Amino acid sequence: MNTVSQVRITREETILDGKCIFTGSITELYREFAGDYPKFFKMDSLCRLGFMAAELLLKNIPAPIRENAAIALFNRNGSLITDRNYQKTVSDDNYFPSPALFVYTLANIVTGEIAIRNKIYGESSFYILDEYDAALIEDIAASVFITSSPSLLLTGWVDYNDETDYLADMKLVTDNKTKIR
Amino acid sequence: MIACIADNIISPMGLTTEENFSSVSKGMSMLRNHEDTFGLPEAFCASMLDRELISGLFADHALSDNEYTFFEKLCILSATDAISSCALQAECEDVIFVISTTKGNVDMLETEPDCPGCRLAFSAEKIARYFGNTNTSVVTSNACVSGVCAQIAAIRLLLGGKYRYAVIIGCDVLSRFIISGFQSFKALSPEPCRPFDKERKGLNLGEAAGTMILENIGGTNVYGNGSLWEFAACSNHNDANHISGPSRTGEGAFRVLKDILEKIDRDDIAFVNLHGTATPYNDEMESIALHRSGLEDLPANGFKGYFGHTLGAAGIIETILSMKAVETGVIPATKGYGTKGTTYGISASSATRETDRNTFIKILSGFGGSNAGIAYRRRNVPPCATFRKGGEA
Amino acid sequence: MNELIDKLKTQIIEALNLEDMTISDIDTEAPLFGSGLGLDSIDALELIVLLEREYGIKLTNPAESKEIFRSVATIADYVSKNRTK
Repeated sequence: MNTVSQVRITREETILDGKCIFTGSITELYREFAGDYPKFFKMDSLCRLGFMAAELLLKNIPAPIRENAAIALFNRNGSLITDRNYQKTVSDDNYFPSPALFVYTLANIVTGEIAIRNKIYGESSFYILDEYDAALIEDIAASVFITSSPSLLLTGWVDYNDETDYLADMKLVTDNKTKIR
Repeated sequence: MIACIADNIISPMGLTTEENFSSVSKGMSMLRNHEDTFGLPEAFCASMLDRELISGLFADHALSDNEYTFFEKLCILSATDAISSCALQAECEDVIFVISTTKGNVDMLETEPDCPGCRLAFSAEKIARYFGNTNTSVVTSNACVSGVCAQIAAIRLLLGGKYRYAVIIGCDVLSRFIISGFQSFKALSPEPCRPFDKERKGLNLGEAAGTMILENIGGTNVYGNGSLWEFAACSNHNDANHISGPSRTGEGAFRVLKDILEKIDRDDIAFVNLHGTATPYNDEMESIALHRSGLEDLPANGFKGYFGHTLGAAGIIETILSMKAVETGVIPATKGYGTKGTTYGISASSATRETDRNTFIKILSGFGGSNAGIAYRRRNVPPCATFRKGGEA
Repeated sequence: MNELIDKLKTQIIEALNLEDMTISDIDTEAPLFGSGLGLDSIDALELIVLLEREYGIKLTNPAESKEIFRSVATIADYVSKNRTK
């Protein structure tokens, strides 16, 4: 696979194609590099993180190429933080289940949010592994091209533990036959 | 060639694929009204397993019972049946475990919110280790389409060459967490669901586990039992529309069907097995996708009137049941369907129909705007003298 | 009634994560769905929860909720007539 672009976001810094472009929270990153999508504030933290990583990677990719892109993301915690928050809304003494929270108790929603924002009609899938197994992640990502021909694959790790502990390590790749730039 | 060499379904209607398919053939379901279950204020209609029965069965098999949760026991029991039926040596390096589940042990959040079992992959690793397998297992967590995604992921890993076998387990168990969530979406029907029907009111949830074992058998036919299920085509497309509502134009499902139709013989399709959750929007969306694909006259069916929506298990058990249908030459009735209730036609039927065709398509849609589909083709193979044991070179 | 309207606006902003919005940004009579704030189906479900949690009103019929949630004004009217809390 050929890497077109890559981004790494932690609380400490945001690095795009090897250059540190920002230091701050995910919301501050949103205000700096997007700021035009109120739905961002409905998303849970995992989705906000994945959304911003995709935003930085896909900024200069033209619409026809984005349309046929594929998304394959990975993490270890699934949607656990939101799962815990949702669980609190169904406790015995305060039972008011929240649909807005429930919908985010699925890790693959982050791929949906990215697809909606970027008008991506290709494949979207989410995988959970017990550890950051770089070789397996690479195998699964590369294998997308075995049964399909996306113009571009947005792939990588996106995991969220709390406000200071999160990681998005994502890249845009093409198969060995396609050249984007 | 990727072949399905073994399978199992565990549901309230049976502990094996054969028992479950027989129940479907008899028109049975275990969709029942549940009041006070999980301490929920609102009753719900669902198909639920007998937890004591499952624990008892597991105790008969295993060394130590209290290490495994209900969800894990169910997965292990299902996989045990499939693995033993093809004599697979699951501990071998060329075997990978792929688990399809939406919420795994989410019920543990009530009592032990910080325990590692709350993580889906931790649970998956326990399941794989039970069988002695030490490869990192893969969890596909793609909402309702997880089961088809798991098959696609497994098939690709096998085609990639590093693994020869994939044990794919699809499973979800119900809990206050899950039921309350669907209730907050007003998505549930208080009665047994009615897929594609004019009077449909929503979905029912269900519990099940399903296992498929796939093998990359290369170009040679080495199985002597007369027929082989071969992977034919797959596809996955996002609607890029809304995170919980289906596309009003059926865009993703249409693209999935289009991809699959390009790779299979349209004249050999016995039927398309739909998602058919019986919500007003899903079934309408599927009718639009079928119409746009020119498949309105192709026999279609849905299994959720028998099992409810089994979430992570759905893609697996509904694929297995579709295989059985083709093998017996009988397309099962769509339980709960009576009168056309969608804008475009869906050729569903409340009666069984005969077929002599060998290919079927399975499609699913889910939260996150996901749509996925897979097609398998049954091939007759000449009987041969030896049946090669799984796991051997 | 004005107090209820302001309270509802505050609660709506919080329940629906309408970040950066203040009470004065929401027009009492403007449509909430479709145009106006452009709320969606999940927002409608969340408003049903809000009515039950804060005002003890249980809405069981999704069809009638469309009319009730037309604008902040219609919600305030319905709440003032039906609240049990």
